[in-house]
Order: sequence, then structure tokens, then C-alpha cells
Amino acid sequence: MRGPNEIDFWRGFALLTIFIDHVPGLFYENYTMRHFGLSDAAELFVFLAGWSMRLLMDNRKEPMPLPSAIMRLETRALTIFFAQLIITQMALALTAAGALWLENPLFLEWNNASAAFEAPIETQVGIVLLSHQMGFFDILPLYVVIIAGSPLCVISDRIWKWLPLVLSLALYAVILVTGVNLPTWPVEGRWYFNPFAWQLVFVLGYMLADARGPLSALRAHRTSLRWLGLLGVAAGVVLAVADYSPDPVLLPEPKLFFMFDKTFATPARILHLLALVALFNGAFAIVEERIRPVARFFSMLGRNSLHVFCIGSLFALGSQFGRFMLGGSILVDTMVLLMGIITMVVTAWIVEWRVRSRAS
Amino acid sequence: MRSFAAIIALLAASLSASAQTGPPPLSPQCEAPGADISTVAPLPHLARKLEKGGKVRILAIGSSSTYGIGATSHRKTYPAQLRGILEKSLQGAEALIVNRGVSGEVAQTTADRLRTEVALEKPDVVLWQLGTNDALARVPPQDFERTVISTLEWLKSANIDVVLVGLQYTPQFARDQNYFAIREALLRAAAAENVLYVRRYDAMQFIARNNPGKVELMTNDGLHLNDMGYQCMAEHIAHAVIANLFVRKKDLPKGEPGAAEPPKPAAPGK
Repeated sequence: MRGPNEIDFWRGFALLTIFIDHVPGLFYENYTMRHFGLSDAAELFVFLAGWSMRLLMDNRKEPMPLPSAIMRLETRALTIFFAQLIITQMALALTAAGALWLENPLFLEWNNASAAFEAPIETQVGIVLLSHQMGFFDILPLYVVIIAGSPLCVISDRIWKWLPLVLSLALYAVILVTGVNLPTWPVEGRWYFNPFAWQLVFVLGYMLADARGPLSALRAHRTSLRWLGLLGVAAGVVLAVADYSPDPVLLPEPKLFFMFDKTFATPARILHLLALVALFNGAFAIVEERIRPVARFFSMLGRNSLHVFCIGSLFALGSQFGRFMLGGSILVDTMVLLMGIITMVVTAWIVEWRVRSRAS
Repeated sequence: MRSFAAIIALLAASLSASAQTGPPPLSPQCEAPGADISTVAPLPHLARKLEKGGKVRILAIGSSSTYGIGATSHRKTYPAQLRGILEKSLQGAEALIVNRGVSGEVAQTTADRLRTEVALEKPDVVLWQLGTNDALARVPPQDFERTVISTLEWLKSANIDVVLVGLQYTPQFARDQNYFAIREALLRAAAAENVLYVRRYDAMQFIARNNPGKVELMTNDGLHLNDMGYQCMAEHIAHAVIANLFVRKKDLPKGEPGAAEPPKPAAPGK
């Protein structure tokens, strides 16, 4: 098992944040990073995925051979796809069980579940096509598309080091100008996370992680960039606390370039993410030195991110029912938070126990 | 407003004989007193658009029934039915309804999505169905009210008319305090911002109580609206919209369906 490290630490941090954000109305939800800045844990998570792909590909004596790289990434995409199918099925079962238990079919509508019960024929197909996504269970489909497409990143990187970023920015610009997004079906709508826009977040992680690549020159200016990051993060706090976002109706075309929109991971959100990265990179070393248990805790979650994410998402859904039954008092919300943390830690522990027992 | 006479002239010319005195008649099974159907509030931007004769763009957003759960086919979802009724009643008008409902969504999530959808779809009217899921998710009523009011204020500043469609009537929640608190908060927000509020709960309750065993507005699970429920909901919304285009013509005429009294306080239970 790898020891605590910066990527796992922040990934763990993002996982806990996502869990809290996925219980609507939860008291602690008012204090997650999205209330203090423009971007949120989703950007961080996708950015770190790009970053760790770079480490996987290049952080070895020889870069990973292309065929192995492609196999590795596509099988990973497949694993995430299966995870999405399983948690969707479990979320539907949990939703149905909640409705049965509480004898209240209104719960069947929660989190965009209703189509699965009302139009099961179409929805069964939609779930497998990833065109039907339950609310809060919509980030893995994005992940599947990004990882499935990530070999393009690796291939273009080997042609020319700037190429992944150039292609990614070009696609991003086209999407923001046209507003194109994948449709959902059978429910009429659009993907909550537009993969054609979000791929830029991933590619930025991939580019910035390259210690020898074209953006590595930035590392020499770490200190001045940290000041810039501080400025960006401070601006994010002011904007978020003031609850400001530009009025989309008044904005010039193409509006998406100037909006603060999550579906399209608009530039303001990406700049804020980059400011966070500039400010907080290296902060892990301080955490590890001063408050080692915290470093270990988040790293443990981050090391097992897919499992922890899946179980955390399901627990968050269960918590929605819990809050309905028990009411949303601070006591209940504290219980939800503590039990959620314990559930995620136990999940990580079990996964690592399995790996350890197999190794020995 | 100087253009108002023109609107009336246009509407009077375009409406059928029965509609000339107001909105189209309701189907017998959907009959409910005007006061139970909606509040009174002007729809100035829609009226102006109709006057100009352009295509009316309506964004239907919100939770549950926007998608059309319980309807046997997609065509019969309430936005689809609404379009038919509106186009028929306002002859010559063309309505495009963009359906962006996500079942079970709380108002805050819809409010976040709404900004982008409005910027991309550029609607003249937003139909926002909300409340039920905030009550179920135990969202604090004051948070809910704040979300609704800030969104309504923004839509107003963007020159977009709003029709709020309220919580559904369900016998299960006839005594649920939280359900009523959310409903009250919604009524307050609608009154404070002077927007049209379709009193879905009251209309459904009226129909359910006055037609025991005769009219099935729900599917057999007792909650989801079936096709008939959608038809009534669409009729009630269309009725409210058209009645409120006429609001100033007769200065709140009495006894006309749809021209209703101000919001009445909700009474929990029976």
C-alpha cells in the first residue's frame, strides 16, 4: 500500500466534500468549498484524475508502451462503467425500498429515479447507454467518457507535447460557442456534466503534472504563482460569499465563456481551480508534518477513491431518507456526517485488507 | 400601458367565441373554482410577445411532473398538453415548449440549472414546478423561500414571466407540518414577487373531494398523476396563463374562473 501522498490526500478531501454535498439540506453542506469559491470538489477530482494519469504513464524509468497504456486506460474506463451500473442499480433499489418502507411513492421520484419505475423499458436501455443518470450519480458517466477518451491524450502527447492541450482547448472552445452537450434519454434533457467541456479540466491536470513538459517551466515560479493563486482564491471567496455570478442574460455571446456554469465547466470555474492549485500545492507536506492523522485519513480515502465514492454516494442517498424520517436537526446532520465518514473509512479499510491479504 | 388595447384587440380577434369572455372552458372532470386554480398576476412579457405575433418560447423546468411520470406516453406530459391548449386558445400563436424537468429535484438544484437554461434557450415564460421535493428532503423552509425569491427576482430583471406550479395534493401529507411550511413559503414568495402561482394542491384537493371515486387523477399508487391528472394540470396552467393575460382588461372581474382572490392561507389537515 502506498503511503500518504499529495494526490491521494486531495482526492480524499474531494471525496468527503462530494459526500457532504450529496445530502441536500445537510447543515454541513453550507461549509463545503463550493460556498467559498467558484469551483468545487468535482473539478478537483477530475483534475487529479488527469494528474494521476500522467504519473501512471510517465513516472517510471521508461514511459509506458502505448499498447499497454491504451489497454490500461480502456479497462479502467470499463471498470468505472461497471461501477456506475452497479451503483445505479443499488440506488434504484434503495429508492424503491425507501418508498416501500415509508409507504410513500413520492420517493420514487427522487434524484431523477422516476423514469426507471414509470418507463422501465426505455430506462433500462438508458442506464446502460449512460443516457439515464440519477441525480448525484452523474459524475461517473463523465469519468467513463473522459477515461475512455484519454488514450487520445497520451497519443497526442507523444506526437507533440503541446498537442493534448491544443486539441483540448479547441474542443472546449467549440463546445462553449455552440452549447453542444450530450442528450439524456428517456428523460428529455442534457448531461449534467458535459464531458466535452470537462475534458479540459482533466487535460490540465495531465499537462501540469508533467515534470518535463511544456508547462513544467511554471514550477520555477512557484512562489510568485502562489501569490497569484492567493489573489484568485480570495476573489473566489468574495464572489461566492456575496453570492455573485454574472447575469447570463446581460452577457455578450458566446455567453458560456463568461458564465459561472458547472455543466460546461466554464472558464471562471477553471481559473478558480487553477488558483486553488497554485495556492495549495505543497500544502500537503505541512499537513503531513503537523497533523499526520489527517494526512493519513484523507490519503486512505483517496487511495481507494472508486470504492469510497460508490459507497459514499449510496450512503448519501440513504441519508436523504434518514433525514426525511428523523428531520433535519443539527444532531441528525452530525450523525449523518460521522456515520458517513466511518462508512467511507471502513470501505477503504476493507478494500486494503483484501489487497493486503492477497499479497501475503 | 399603451399597448394594452392592442393586445386585447389581438386576443379578442384570435380567440374562439367561448374564449372571448376569458380562458377556454375546462373539461368537466377538471372543473375547479378559479380561486383554487391560481392566484392573479400579470404576464406582461408574454402579452407583449403575443402582440408582436412571434413564437412564444416556454421553458418548463422543475421536479417530478415536468417529466411526466405516470403518463402513458411522452406526448401526454403536461408541457406537451399545455402547448396544444395554448395554441388552440390563442389562435395564430405558436408555442415552443422546452422541457427540462428532472424528477425529484430540489429547488436549489433547479435554480442553479435555470440560469444556464434561460441563457441558452431564451424563453419568454418559465414554468417552474417546485416544492414537493424540498418538503421531502427537509430543506429548511426559509432556505427554500430565499432560493425561490432570488430566482424570481433574477427572472424578473431578465424580463421573463414566471408561472410557479405548486406542490401536489397527496392524502399522505395532509397533516405533514413540513409540507405545509414549504407550501406557505412558496405562496409567500409568489405573493411577494407578484408572480402567477398555480395552486395545484388546492385544485387537486377540490377535484379529489368533489368527485370521490369518480375521477382518478392519480395512478394507482395514489400519487403520480395519470394522464387525466396531467390533462387537468395542463388545463389549469393554460387557464391561469390565459386568464391572466386578461387580468387588466376587466380589472380583476369577479366570478370569472381564473381571476382569483389573493393567496389564501393554507389550512393543514381536514
